[in-house]
Amino acid sequence: MKLIQGNRMTALILVIAAFLILLPFVYESRNLLILLTQIFVFAIFAMSYDLLIGFTGIVSFGHAMFFGIGAYSMGIFMKKFEPTMTYFFLAVLSTIVLTGLVSFIVGLLTLRLKSHFYAMLTLSLSGLFLVLAEKWRSMTFGNDGFTFRVPELFIDRTHFYWLSLCLMMAIFLFLKRFTNSPLGRVLQAIRENEQRTESLGFQVLHYKIAASVVSGVIAGIAGILYAISLRYVNTSVFSMDITLDALLMTIIGGVGTLVGAIIGAGLIEFAHDWLTELAKEHVIFERWIIFFGIIYILVVMFFPKGIVGTLSTYPSKRKKQTAVKSKEKVAG
Amino acid sequence: MELIINLTLNGLATGMLIFLLAAGLTLIFGLMDVLNFAHGGLFAWGAYSGLWVYQQTGSFIIGIAGAIITGCLLGIIIEKWIIKPVYGNHVQQILITLGLMLVLSELLKVIWGPNQLTASPPDYLKGSWDLGGVIVIKYRIFIILVGFVIFAAVQYILKNTKVGLVVRAGVMNKEMVQALGINIQKVFMFVFMIGAGMAALGGVLLGPYSGVIHAGMGMEFAILAFIVVVIGGMGNFKGSVLAAILVGLSGSFMAYYVPDLSLAVNMLLMAVVLIIRPQGLFGEGGVRR
Repeated sequence: MKLIQGNRMTALILVIAAFLILLPFVYESRNLLILLTQIFVFAIFAMSYDLLIGFTGIVSFGHAMFFGIGAYSMGIFMKKFEPTMTYFFLAVLSTIVLTGLVSFIVGLLTLRLKSHFYAMLTLSLSGLFLVLAEKWRSMTFGNDGFTFRVPELFIDRTHFYWLSLCLMMAIFLFLKRFTNSPLGRVLQAIRENEQRTESLGFQVLHYKIAASVVSGVIAGIAGILYAISLRYVNTSVFSMDITLDALLMTIIGGVGTLVGAIIGAGLIEFAHDWLTELAKEHVIFERWIIFFGIIYILVVMFFPKGIVGTLSTYPSKRKKQTAVKSKEKVAG
Repeated sequence: MELIINLTLNGLATGMLIFLLAAGLTLIFGLMDVLNFAHGGLFAWGAYSGLWVYQQTGSFIIGIAGAIITGCLLGIIIEKWIIKPVYGNHVQQILITLGLMLVLSELLKVIWGPNQLTASPPDYLKGSWDLGGVIVIKYRIFIILVGFVIFAAVQYILKNTKVGLVVRAGVMNKEMVQALGINIQKVFMFVFMIGAGMAALGGVLLGPYSGVIHAGMGMEFAILAFIVVVIGGMGNFKGSVLAAILVGLSGSFMAYYVPDLSLAVNMLLMAVVLIIRPQGLFGEGGVRR
């Protein structure tokens, strides 16, 4: 039974992927293309966040800093040097090194303590990066940000759309593989019961740091794509809003599922687009994020597994309950 | 000399505002094991509601009272409806309080508009005194005095009353307190209310001090308060006042001499504390995991 379900799921994913690949041929809308690209970028970002919160049980409130590091290193390389592929790869390399380093240090400092410490340190560290980006004007042009040219390969919107779609699929498959690997299994064990995992002889700290580094690097890649898609970068990439976006997407979509992160990203970006239109009708829609804040609180309280988790566990749960009941009957 | 005195007073005043925020945070954490990420939102609500009452009535004192009442009411509502359902689950608690922070600060923008508001101290606190050649701004002294009074009052309650005894015992071992027949839920609510009230008081005092208030300032001060809570030791009330003064002073001196590094220094201080003494500079014993 489960095998059939798994196959059905794969088939569904393949159909959606094929549809998304073919979309630019049949439906020519620049706005939709840009919106979908944005969704892919944020889906990558939200999946990296899901690795932390959904699979390892680490709460980070400063995920924007990895996103921002990616966006700024791409921007700075393209602005200060030539917009060629060589510098593009240098920017990617520096993003990976920087995000890896930062997440490693943060993890080393706080992951051996209570979960609050990681949340607090990442929150204040991302605040520090925001200040750095505002103050280091010679490099970042402060709050106004700067525009830059991108390598020729990325100029065409449709090409970039395909590229981000492929990258999203690749990262999805990678994370799927990663979370099902022995290492990923240990991470899930840590989420379920840290003390027990430790007493089984696993070096919990090492595994947690590994998760933190992988998540940080992927978030940096999302930041790179974001910068290329806008061809503009300013301090908002370090802001709390970016972290909150990732949080809302993962929690509402469903933690620990990866698909949930993608669905959440789609939901929030579409809603953002649509509600900003509605803002012309009534001012309350300018504060659209408040609706998502309320939905988010309700989801955390009543559906901690989010959309995907709640939908996928509902039938199996009922089956389990009936199984338990029939067993009780037998025992009675 | 005059410069040093003024920088010190400035640092002390900022430190006291951070203390009002951090004290509630640390008490709530120590007693309930809840790190309230929405505390900055209560701070901002105090500032807005206090300013609104002040402008409506024309009396700063009533404004302060209004802010404290708003803070306490919000504290009760939040404790009862949002935090109580998720007691005991750390990840859920952290997530839910951050969501609350988002809702609180967006609500501020809905009610009072997204632009920043200007605030000025009442006439009797405007201007400055001339103490033997040193110009001292009145309002800063006022903030420092209020901060010390609140510190002394809370310290007195903790040390000399029945409620304080229960709270201190609860910080040490809340299961034991409960087993002795004390309704710890009521104590939780009381502490949360007091903490929220102190945060709101800090907010309303900040308005005339900085001249403008905006919805994002809750988060800015909350970050400083988190640094203070870590440096002072999680759950350590006395530690929080010392750490707040330390952070306030280092912030004000750094802001004058090397303005670009003022936040970085505090962050560095926090990182060092996390490496060497995770239980806080003024904490005792090992850190609970």
